[in-house]
Amino acid sequence: MPFHVDDVAELYALGSLEDREREAVDVHLRRCSQCTQAIADAERDVATIASMEPRHEAPAELGSRIERVLEVRPFARAPRAVAHTWMIPAAMAAVLLLGLLPTAYFAAESRAMHDAMIAQNSAITRLASQPYRVANFNAARARVVYGVDGSWYVVIVPSAPKKLAVAWMHDGGRTMLGEAVPHGDVATLYLPKSHRMDRLALMDGERIVAEAKLTWQRTAPNRQAVRSV
Amino acid sequence: MIPAPEGDEALAAAFAAHHAWAFGEAYRRHASLLYSAAYNVLGNADDAKDCVGDAVARLWRSPGSYTAQRGNLRNFLVVCVRNEAISRRRRQARQTRVEERLTSMAPQFEEMHLEDPIERDRVRRALLALPAEQRTAIALAYYDGKTQSEIAAELREPLGTIKSRIKLGLRKLALALEVAPAESERA
Repeated sequence: MPFHVDDVAELYALGSLEDREREAVDVHLRRCSQCTQAIADAERDVATIASMEPRHEAPAELGSRIERVLEVRPFARAPRAVAHTWMIPAAMAAVLLLGLLPTAYFAAESRAMHDAMIAQNSAITRLASQPYRVANFNAARARVVYGVDGSWYVVIVPSAPKKLAVAWMHDGGRTMLGEAVPHGDVATLYLPKSHRMDRLALMDGERIVAEAKLTWQRTAPNRQAVRSV
Repeated sequence: MIPAPEGDEALAAAFAAHHAWAFGEAYRRHASLLYSAAYNVLGNADDAKDCVGDAVARLWRSPGSYTAQRGNLRNFLVVCVRNEAISRRRRQARQTRVEERLTSMAPQFEEMHLEDPIERDRVRRALLALPAEQRTAIALAYYDGKTQSEIAAELREPLGTIKSRIKLGLRKLALALEVAPAESERA
C-alpha cells in the first residue's frame, strides 16, 4: 500500500476521524509498523490527558457484562428449539462446523486457537439449541445464520481462499464486526450481539464482495424457545 | 480462569494473542480509567457503561487489532474507549456538553476560563498555555469530539492547517501534563 496514515495519527487518537476513516486506518495499521509507531505516540499523549480527567468508579455490573462478552463462562443450557424446514440448510452448516472442529482442534497449539474454538463451540451450541434464520449473501455462496432474537450471528463462507472482514451496514456507514477466518475450506465468524442487524457485508480490504439482507419478524415464531443471552 | 501474569508486558503479549483471560484482566486493571474516559465524553453512566462494554466487545471480535508494536496497552484501550464514546455521541447527535463553552471564539474562551473555578484544573491550565489557534483546534477535537472536517469548516481553515495545529498542540499539551505525572500514572 503506497500511502501512510501517520499524518492523521493525532486525529485518530483524538477521535477526530470519521468512522470510515478510522476503519481505514485500522486496516492500514495491521501491516505498517511505521504508522503503528506514530499512532502509539499519539495514543500516549491522548491517554495522558484522559488520565487526568475526573475519575469515576466503574460499576460492578460492567465487569460482569464484559465477562459475558468474553464468554469465559460456559453458556447455560438452552431450551430446545422447534424444528422448521428452513432450518435445514443451517443445520447442515452446523454439521459442517462440527466436522471441522476436531481437525482444527488437533491443529491448534496456541491459546488463541483455543479461544477461537470456544467461540465456534458457542456458535454450534446456539445452532443446535435455539431457533434461527438463514440469509444468503448475494455472492460468494456465503450465508449468515442468526438467532431470531438477534442475540447471535454466524457468518459462513464456503471455499474462502482467505479471511474476509464482516461489516454491519447502517445509517449510511458501516461498523466492522470482525473477520471470517478460514478453517479448512470454510471461513466462519461467530458474533454474539445485543441487537438486530438488517444488512451485513463481506469485505476484502475496503471492497465489498457480498451483501446479505436479514429479515426479522415482529413476533418471534416460537417465543417460548427464545432465550436471552 | 488462567492466573494473571505479574507484569504489564506479559499481559500486553497475552492480549495481543487474543486470550480471553487477558481481555478480562486488562479490563480489571484499567476499569476505572476506561469507564471514566467514556463517562467524561458522554456524561451519562448508562451510556458510559454501554460504551465500554461495546468497545471491549469490538476488540474481542477483531483479532489483530492490538499488537505489541502498538505500545502501551493501557493507552491503546483508553483511545479505543474514547473513540467509541465519541462515535456514539456523534450518532446520537448529542449537543449538551459541559465543555460547550470551549467552542466559542478563542478570546472569549480565555476571558471566561481565567475567572472560572475550572481554571484550577491542570488540563485546562495547560490548554490555556497553548497558542490560541492550537488550543481551539485541540478543544474542538478533544472535548467536542468534532471531526477534522468539522473543525476545518468551523474555523474556516484548510484541513492541512488543522492537522498541523492539532499535531503541535497535542504534543505540547501532553508534555506540559507529563511534568508532574504522578497522579496520572494510577491505574
